Amino acid sequence: MIKTPDLIASLAANATPVRRLRPPVMRAACWLLLAAVVLTLLAINQRIRPDLVQRLQEPAFAVSMAAALSTGVLAAIAAFLVSLPDRSRLWLLLPVPALAVWLSNVGYQCLVQWVAIGPDGVSLGEAARCFATLVLTSLPLSLAMLVMLRYAAPLRPTAATFMGSLAVAAITATALSLLHTIDATVMILMWNFGTAVLFVGLAGVFGRRMFRWVAPRTFYSRD
Amino acid sequence: MTHDPSGRGPSLRLVGKDDSSDDETASVTRDVDWSILMARAQEGDRTAYRRLLQEIAPYLRSLAARRHRDPNDVEDAVQDVLLTIHSIRQTYDPTRPFAPWLVAIANRRFIDRLRRQGRTRDREIPLTAEHETFCEPQANLEVSPDRQELEGAVNNLPPAQQQALRLLKLKELSLKEAATLSGMSITSLKVNAHRALKTLRKMLVDRSQP
Repeated sequence: MIKTPDLIASLAANATPVRRLRPPVMRAACWLLLAAVVLTLLAINQRIRPDLVQRLQEPAFAVSMAAALSTGVLAAIAAFLVSLPDRSRLWLLLPVPALAVWLSNVGYQCLVQWVAIGPDGVSLGEAARCFATLVLTSLPLSLAMLVMLRYAAPLRPTAATFMGSLAVAAITATALSLLHTIDATVMILMWNFGTAVLFVGLAGVFGRRMFRWVAPRTFYSRD
Repeated sequence: MTHDPSGRGPSLRLVGKDDSSDDETASVTRDVDWSILMARAQEGDRTAYRRLLQEIAPYLRSLAARRHRDPNDVEDAVQDVLLTIHSIRQTYDPTRPFAPWLVAIANRRFIDRLRRQGRTRDREIPLTAEHETFCEPQANLEVSPDRQELEGAVNNLPPAQQQALRLLKLKELSLKEAATLSGMSITSLKVNAHRALKTLRKMLVDRSQP
């Protein structure tokens, strides 16, 4: 085993200048900007659903959309805050109110209009396009989040991954409801809630491994 | 007692107050020093970085000693924290105090370490001398009487045969190696080894059939 003074000497010899991280809120803003760009590109490519203006006047839809969006924003901010060592863990509670509104709204819609699936149901083509949107939104955002949060790997990997994936899930759900006419409530529930569960679950399974992959090398070489 | 705000004796309270305020000033100064050193280290100042690491190492050791008992563990934990600090030194913001940042990292690493140790303890059984004894075949076989007899027989051989036997059969060297080592020719080694085996066989057979 290397002696501590030797280790200090070798670390000091390797002390290359580093760029300080920007404040967490600003980093969250950068990430959200990326999310906005991705959404805009998708909207240009796949066209916004035709009845968006009309649907936005319905309070249930508007509230659900706003709640999903704010869950995404708040969860992103919380993820960047908890990825720093000296910030309180209580920041994890930041997106909880918005999340509660979002999920309860989706649940409520589901309850009220349980039988509201149209006679044709949802066509397969639409579902496939939904899936395309899901992948196209979530993949770049997840990767960006993963790279930006890599410093959290030796500190609070679980909390940071959880918040990050919640942000990705909420933004993806917003994208889905912006771009696709899925009014069947079961589908709404499935897409909204399913996306959230999917990402949080994936993060739980692969989060640590992915972090090891992007994390600065020194941590795990000794384990 | 010195830290009790409701201390009864006025003189005691005074002393306590003075002490704690001194401590506080000292720790604040120290914190500012460390902040400055870390900020300089982030800009690539090696001397500042080395001084910072040297100063925080004893502090980390005292933190680690609260959680680990074995001195080796303590030192490992300190080194773990130092490495972590090195690899995420860009996350420190010089406008914020240094100590909370340091302590948060240290605690996370200590806890991770304890968890890992716990998992290892659950899964692994340390290998004791006893286990090793049972793995080695000699431990389970009563070979020593035979061995003594054989050694005695080998010692009774003529010196040239003895040497050839030891080099070729007991040390399992090649003919060439044995030749270089002993200075005997390959042919004479072969002959001597063959004779040695023959003599040994005769001696041992004679002994087992009295």
